[in-house]
Amino acid sequence: MSAPLPKRIIKETERLQNEPVPGISAEPHEENARYFDVWVDGPDGSCYEGGKFNLELFLPDDYPMCPPRIRFLTRIYHPNIDRLGRICLDVLKNNWSPALQIRTILLSIQALLGAPNPEDPLNEAVAKQWKENQPEAIKTAREWTQLYAQKK
Amino acid sequence: MADLDQRPHKKRRFFVDDSPSQDPSLSAEPSLPDEVNDLPKSPSLQRQQTGDAAERDKENVFDGETFKAFTGASPPEDTILSLQQTFGKDLERAINAYFDGSWKNTPAPPSSSRTPSASTYRSSPFGKPSSTIQTTPQANASPRASATPAPPKPAALGSMPTKRYIGALGVAGWTTKSGTGLLKPDDTIKIERQKQAIQQKAGRGGKFKQVVRKTQDMIVRFTNGRGEEVGRLEKEAAMWISTLLDQKLCIFEGHCIFAPERIRTNDTVYLQLKCFLLRSAFEAGNFVKPAENNRETGIFEAKETSDERDLRLRQVALVKLFSEINLQPSKINETTAKHKREGILQAAEVAEQYDQQDTKKSKGNTPENGGSSPPSEENEEGEELEQDQLDSLYRKAQSFDFDTPEAQPADSFTMDLRKYQKQALHWMVAKETSQKQEHKEMSMHPLWEEYPWPIKDADDKDLPAVDGQDCFYVNPYSGELGLDFPVQEQTCLGGILADEMGLGKTIEMLSLVHSHRSPEQEATMSGAKADAIASLPRLGRNSSGVEYAPATTLVVAPMSLLAQWASEAEKASKDGTLRVLIYYGSDKNINLPTLCSAANAASAPNVIITSYGTVLSEFNAVASMDGNRGSHGGLFSLDYWRIILDEAHMIKNRQSKTAKACYELAAKHRWVLTGTPIVNRLEDLFSLIRFLRVEPWSNFSFWKTFITVPFEKGDFVRALDVVQTVLEPIVLRRTKDMKTPDGEALVPLPPKTVEIEHVKLSDPEREVYELIFARAKKAFSANMEAGTLMKSYTTIFAQILRLRQSCCHPMLTRNKQIVAEEEDAAAAADVANGLADDMDLTALLERFQADEGEQDASRFGSHVLKQIQDESDMECPICSEEPMEEQAVTGCWHSACKKCLLDYIEHQSSKGELPRCFNCREPINARDVFEVVRHEDEDFGDEDTKALVSAFGAGDEEDEDLYNSTQSAKKKDAAKRITLRRVNALSSAKINTLLTQLKRLRKSDQVLKTVVFSQFTSFLDLLGPALTSAGITWLRFDGSMSQKERARVLSDFANRPKFTVLFLSLRAGGVGLNLTCAKRVFMMDPWWSFAVEAQAIDRVHRMGQTDEVKVTRFVVEGSIEEKMLKVQDRKKFLASSLGMMSEDEKKTQRIEDIRELLS
Repeated sequence: MSAPLPKRIIKETERLQNEPVPGISAEPHEENARYFDVWVDGPDGSCYEGGKFNLELFLPDDYPMCPPRIRFLTRIYHPNIDRLGRICLDVLKNNWSPALQIRTILLSIQALLGAPNPEDPLNEAVAKQWKENQPEAIKTAREWTQLYAQKK
Repeated sequence: MADLDQRPHKKRRFFVDDSPSQDPSLSAEPSLPDEVNDLPKSPSLQRQQTGDAAERDKENVFDGETFKAFTGASPPEDTILSLQQTFGKDLERAINAYFDGSWKNTPAPPSSSRTPSASTYRSSPFGKPSSTIQTTPQANASPRASATPAPPKPAALGSMPTKRYIGALGVAGWTTKSGTGLLKPDDTIKIERQKQAIQQKAGRGGKFKQVVRKTQDMIVRFTNGRGEEVGRLEKEAAMWISTLLDQKLCIFEGHCIFAPERIRTNDTVYLQLKCFLLRSAFEAGNFVKPAENNRETGIFEAKETSDERDLRLRQVALVKLFSEINLQPSKINETTAKHKREGILQAAEVAEQYDQQDTKKSKGNTPENGGSSPPSEENEEGEELEQDQLDSLYRKAQSFDFDTPEAQPADSFTMDLRKYQKQALHWMVAKETSQKQEHKEMSMHPLWEEYPWPIKDADDKDLPAVDGQDCFYVNPYSGELGLDFPVQEQTCLGGILADEMGLGKTIEMLSLVHSHRSPEQEATMSGAKADAIASLPRLGRNSSGVEYAPATTLVVAPMSLLAQWASEAEKASKDGTLRVLIYYGSDKNINLPTLCSAANAASAPNVIITSYGTVLSEFNAVASMDGNRGSHGGLFSLDYWRIILDEAHMIKNRQSKTAKACYELAAKHRWVLTGTPIVNRLEDLFSLIRFLRVEPWSNFSFWKTFITVPFEKGDFVRALDVVQTVLEPIVLRRTKDMKTPDGEALVPLPPKTVEIEHVKLSDPEREVYELIFARAKKAFSANMEAGTLMKSYTTIFAQILRLRQSCCHPMLTRNKQIVAEEEDAAAAADVANGLADDMDLTALLERFQADEGEQDASRFGSHVLKQIQDESDMECPICSEEPMEEQAVTGCWHSACKKCLLDYIEHQSSKGELPRCFNCREPINARDVFEVVRHEDEDFGDEDTKALVSAFGAGDEEDEDLYNSTQSAKKKDAAKRITLRRVNALSSAKINTLLTQLKRLRKSDQVLKTVVFSQFTSFLDLLGPALTSAGITWLRFDGSMSQKERARVLSDFANRPKFTVLFLSLRAGGVGLNLTCAKRVFMMDPWWSFAVEAQAIDRVHRMGQTDEVKVTRFVVEGSIEEKMLKVQDRKKFLASSLGMMSEDEKKTQRIEDIRELLS
């Protein structure tokens, strides 16, 4: 990372820290300002409520032309998130636009926790369970949240 | 049909008996009926000076003695009697009649008293006649038996007789008859010239057919004492003898030296001819001097007029004659001595070749040439000069002595002159007044030669001398003969001021205008009222209809420089000391002769400035009035005190109408100003010399003989030597890099830096470039293999032109008017335009299609404007810059920085995705991106300081509601109006780079003036809008503008108190202009030779420039332009060592260049 940090990243970082979004935090690593340590609260009223989810976020060189790369570090039971924490979300793929920001992306992820979409699954097993036996799936999700997503 | 000009083939001898009937044409041509054969044979070989007293008594008739003396003949008394009866006192007529034979209708018995002259033939008749029989009068002095006793030394005559002996020569002839007793040695023969009328031949059915002679008629017959035609002279001699006879220069008398006893047709006989120059040959008006009658023949003249042709024949004939009779000049001019006759013959030969080529060529284009075709279209002759030849030419003229005296300009001249300029003034004044200083002994005119009249004839008999006429004079270049000593005419009272551009030729000239005035003007200046009569305005004109304008200097300059001349003239003069008149276009409704006459000297304009075009059009007008200068009332009705031709290489082509027009302007002093007296041919210089009337060089025949012909024959050293001697006395040339003896520059100029900006093409541009490049290369290799490179030179050149254009902007390659900007491109363009764009290229180029122009944002409704305006101060959603840089909007009206927006579209396209709006995800494309253009400073440029403020403080005031701005508030108006301009997303790298640099410059210096050169006016067409969109004010100066527009543009550019860019086409801006108000120069594209670019740069970096000049040359990386720079370098390096390359070698060299360009 020899190139100077683009103005946009500096501004975004400043704003994330000065005007934080409730339930979301993102801290850049000291040694790499493009690498963020992210915490997202499970939305109220969802099966992830009460959980604090850890993610890692990386801004590639051609950001904001390309979307940030982001992944759950905390294990989570969700039809659109796979075992490795990868997220299936349109704005992180085809629907990315440079007008989106870290903040908006994290809000989208938070919203995704509130509204799982088994019709566009990334994790087939979870999606199947979700469609065939939703109460059971939600129960599992709650258990996992209890199990993995608690503040240390 | 046998051509009778030719001697029949020798083999005829073997059919002797048949020969008369075998060749019907021979027998079909009897001696013509109107030929009088009983003419008494001129008994000229005798010099009987015995007078006959009986004749003298007759007071009322001419004196027979005189007649004899004049004719040098002694006709029988009855002949004289009959002449006397016929002509009475009129001796001259009688003599003429005697010689032309017209007296013969009075019966005269054939001469019987003729005494055969002593045999003068001493050599073997079988030898070559020209070498063995040819004798000089001196050589003839060998002792021999003379049949007639030598007469006493003849009395000297008072004046030139009708004919005078100059020498004898031997010639061979061939007989056209057979028989015995036709001719025997010592028989007197008569040499006759029978111009053949167009022969009428009996065709079949008794009809007469006209036979047009294809060859020139030059048959010279000889007849025997009975007047029977015996034969003809051999062709070689007949050629020139016929000319001498036809042009009435000479007559010949002859006798037979050898003839076979029995003559058969086509036998060779040897004759001795005595040649007499006729008095009429010396009389003026014998022929028209070609040099002086330009006006009369100039308008519709073919390459060589019939006058010129006659002259040429005459020149050759005289030279031949003198060489045959071995007559040597006793005195000739030094310069001419070296080269001489051989030169004339060579020149004539060359002219003949031209002649032949031209008759072929000229058929098609002669009629059109009658119009006012611009000089460029008229073909030029002469070979081009190589740079090193030019250099060596100039070297001599440039050996400027820094110690030459200086002159102080008159008080009325306000400018300070530098030392070298004062020296120029001194030199010029000296040139103008040189006749007063020349008290040298009368020297002979350099074109003439002096010949002594022989004092003894071929028979060693004394010839009558003529008082005061021991010699006669010949001008072999004009063919003139003279009896009076030809005095060297006054040299030209002017010259060529060839100081290099930027040394201040204009100022030097103006100082001369102030400092050397005519006596008439001095008289009015000194305030002393000239006598009452002279001060009365009058219309008096001298006989030629040309009014002397003693107070007036005429300046002829290219149209673009008229205003500059006027303003410099005013700047350089104290108020009221110089009246300047621009005589151009509609401003010329004045009667110049009245205005400028000597009588009005006190109020006449001192300087009239006009354009070459005006001179040409008035010339045509005067010519159409049959050359009546006086009644025209324009430029040609005056005889000026002085004429100055500025940028005089405008008349370099002596055949051009403009040049001819300028030659006709009359003046006491004539000057030409040019930085390049020779552009590329030696003939360029001739035209200047011709204008200056430098004798003898203004005679083209002379020039051709000593300069053109040797040069074209490859005798460069000799030709250039001569040119140097011509130039030396009339040229003053200093160059900017000259150093004074103390090592100081002649003109210290602020430094100049030239740097190269390497431009990188965008990918789409690259694609276009590569496609054209590949194609050019393919064409080159294909032609290379097929060995047709030379033939397809233009095609390849056209491809290269396209390549160079694509470096500027891909769209240029589609422009139909790419040409007229490049010399060779004229032809190339057609080829280029004919190259069909295949689909690949069309597709590539479509992306560069020019936009539809500006659109007023109000068209889209107020909410859009509101939105755009709202967004303008926000940060860019893509890069977070705040406010946005060069706000641009999508078709769905979402704003971002232009660059961010375009980058994103590019990014998506490169991934193969359909570009969508970053905001609303509507599909968008690059062509639908609009740049928001604010018109803060639109009508600004006057002293409107408010506008200035708003221009520079624009950002702060923009919050005003746009609704108002577009609908009502016209007053606040301009500052708030916005328009949307389609972003040419795929603009060119060069344009972008230029904009970036200009914007940076504007930030650092808000009143900087910049000049941008391109050789492609079509590129300038694209640059203009690009600058407008960036809010940069610009002006443009090109060849298509009228004089008024040009002047306005130049003054605008100089006077605007703000950052301004001037676009100039490399061509239009190459000469003369003074742009020292600018400090920065951008060269958008390289030219083949850096010299041309350097000349353009010197518009800015020239005298008067006070600051450092920075030049940026744009060169596209990894393109043909980079290679062009290499070629430029190599040319600089080779220039001195190339030497004399032939045309083919040059072409090969160019192909080498192209190979390198395409490598």
